[in-house]
Amino acid sequence: MSEHWIDGHQGVYVVGIGLHPYQFPSDTPYTQLGLVAVRAALADAGLAWKQVQSAYVGTTSIGMAAGRVMFRHLGSTGLAVTQVENASASGSFAFRQACMEVAHGISDVVLAMGVDKHGDGRRAANKDGLERLSPTATIPAVKFALMARSYLRERGAGSAAMAQVAVKNHGNAARNPYAQFRKPRTLEQVLASPKVAGDLTVQQCCPRGEGAAAVLLVSGRALARLGLDARRCVRVRASVATSERDEQRYGDGPVELVGSSARLAMAQAGISPTQLDLLELHDAFSVEELLYSEAIGVCAPGEGAAYLERGDSQIGGRCAINASGGLIGMGHPLGPTGIGQIAEIVRQIRGEAQGRQQPNARWGMAHMIGLGSVAIAHVLSAAQA
Amino acid sequence: MPMTPDLASMRPQNPSLYRLAADGRSLDFLFAQCSACGSLSFPANAPGCMHCGAPADQAEPVTRPGGGTLLEYVTLHVALAPGMPAPSIAGDIRIADQVVEEGVIAVADEAALRPGMAMQAVAVPLPSGEVYACQFVPATVGELP
Repeated sequence: MSEHWIDGHQGVYVVGIGLHPYQFPSDTPYTQLGLVAVRAALADAGLAWKQVQSAYVGTTSIGMAAGRVMFRHLGSTGLAVTQVENASASGSFAFRQACMEVAHGISDVVLAMGVDKHGDGRRAANKDGLERLSPTATIPAVKFALMARSYLRERGAGSAAMAQVAVKNHGNAARNPYAQFRKPRTLEQVLASPKVAGDLTVQQCCPRGEGAAAVLLVSGRALARLGLDARRCVRVRASVATSERDEQRYGDGPVELVGSSARLAMAQAGISPTQLDLLELHDAFSVEELLYSEAIGVCAPGEGAAYLERGDSQIGGRCAINASGGLIGMGHPLGPTGIGQIAEIVRQIRGEAQGRQQPNARWGMAHMIGLGSVAIAHVLSAAQA
Repeated sequence: MPMTPDLASMRPQNPSLYRLAADGRSLDFLFAQCSACGSLSFPANAPGCMHCGAPADQAEPVTRPGGGTLLEYVTLHVALAPGMPAPSIAGDIRIADQVVEEGVIAVADEAALRPGMAMQAVAVPLPSGEVYACQFVPATVGELP
C-alpha cells in the first residue's frame, strides 16, 4: 500500500464521537449545544479535556471567535483554537484541518467539531460588487431545482424517482436519535407536500436548524500510550479537497466536482467505489443523491434511480447511502453537518448504530459540497481493514 | 389597458448589466472582451476574465443584443428572493459562448417554453415607474409581456 500524507505518524484515528441532536431553531445558546457534543466525544473516547492539544471549530453563523467562548467552560488549558468557515462544508474542513495536524505530527490529540445556530445566511457572493440578472442567481434551491429538472428530463424519469430519496432518508432519520426529523414519510406524503421550486417539494429539501457534532482524532503513534481501545478506533484513509472547474457541458459542473474529488479520495485510500459500505453525501435537495451516487461511482451513470429502487442504497443494501438520514432527514445545521457525517460512519464501522446498523460495514465515505462550489471527501475504515 | 410606458425615460435596475436597445424595448447586454483570450465575460465590471483570469484592465467593453439560448427552467412556487414573487419562472440562459446566467422568464406558463429555445431580453417596468428590469421572453414573441 502506497504511503500518503494521511498515513503519517502511523495514521489518523477517530477515537471519540459526540452529538447534540439537530433541531429546529431555538433559544438555546450555541455554547450549550457545543458542550454537549464535546463532552460526549470525550466520554466516548475516554479522554480528558486537558489531553486535547488543538481544536478546530466549523461554524457559519455564530460570529467571530466561537471556540474559546465555549471551551473556557471545559477549562482554559491553553490549547490551540481555530475557527473554520466553508458554508455547508465547514465541519468537513474543520475535520480535514485536524487530520492534517495529526498526520503531520504537530499534535497527537485534536478535536474537530461543528456547531451552529440558524443565521441570516449572509454570503460573500452577495458582496462582490457585481450585479446579477436574476434575484435568484445565488439561491441554492433554484440551482438544484434546475438541476433536478434536467436530470429527470435526461433520464426520462418522473418526479417520484427523486422523491424516493426523501422517503429513504426520512426513514433512516426516524431511526437516528440525533436527527431533526423523526417521522417516516411515504412517497405519497413526500410528493403531496408543498412545492418549493420546480419538482422539488418541501419534504425533499433539508430543513433549517441548529445542533453540534464533535469527533476526537488521535495519531496512530499515540493510541497505545493513551490506552485507547483499538477496536473502537476508526482510521481515516483519505482526505481530499477541491473546487469547481469550468463546465464543459451545461449541468456537468456539480457532477464533475463531486466525481473528481471522490475519485481522488478513493485512489488515496486504495479502494474502488463499489467497496464502499457506507456513503454520507450532500442531499440538501433529493436529486443530489441520485446524481452524486452516479458521480461517485457506487452505481453506473444513469443508474442512480434504479440503484435506489432496487434497495441497494438502503441500510442492508450494497452501500447504505445517508444511513444517518442525510441532510434531508438528519438535518443540515451547516457547521455540524460534515462532522455528523464522520460520527455516523464511525458509529457504523464500530457496529454501534443500534436500530440502523449497516451489516459488516468496513469502508465509508463522507462527501460534502459547499457554496462556491467546493468539495471535500474523507474515506474511513476499520482500523484493520 | 395602461399606456405603453416610456422606457427611454426610465433607469435600468442593473446599469452595469444592460441598457435599452435602439428599438426602445429590448435590451443590449454589456460584456467585457478579454484581450488575452478573446472571450466574453459578464458582467463587464468583473475584476478578471471569467475564462482565463487575465486582469480586467486588459479587456474592452463590448455590447451585444441581450438574449441567448434557454437551457433549463423551473417555476418557483414560493417567494425565494426579494423581487421574485411566486409563482414565477427562472431559467438558465446561455447569453454568450461559455457564459450561462440565471434569468427571470416572463411567460405565464412553462408550457410556452422548451430547452434550446432562443430568448430575447426585454425591459420590463417595475411598479415604481422609474426603473426597468431585465426579463426574458421567447425570441419569437414580438410583444412585451
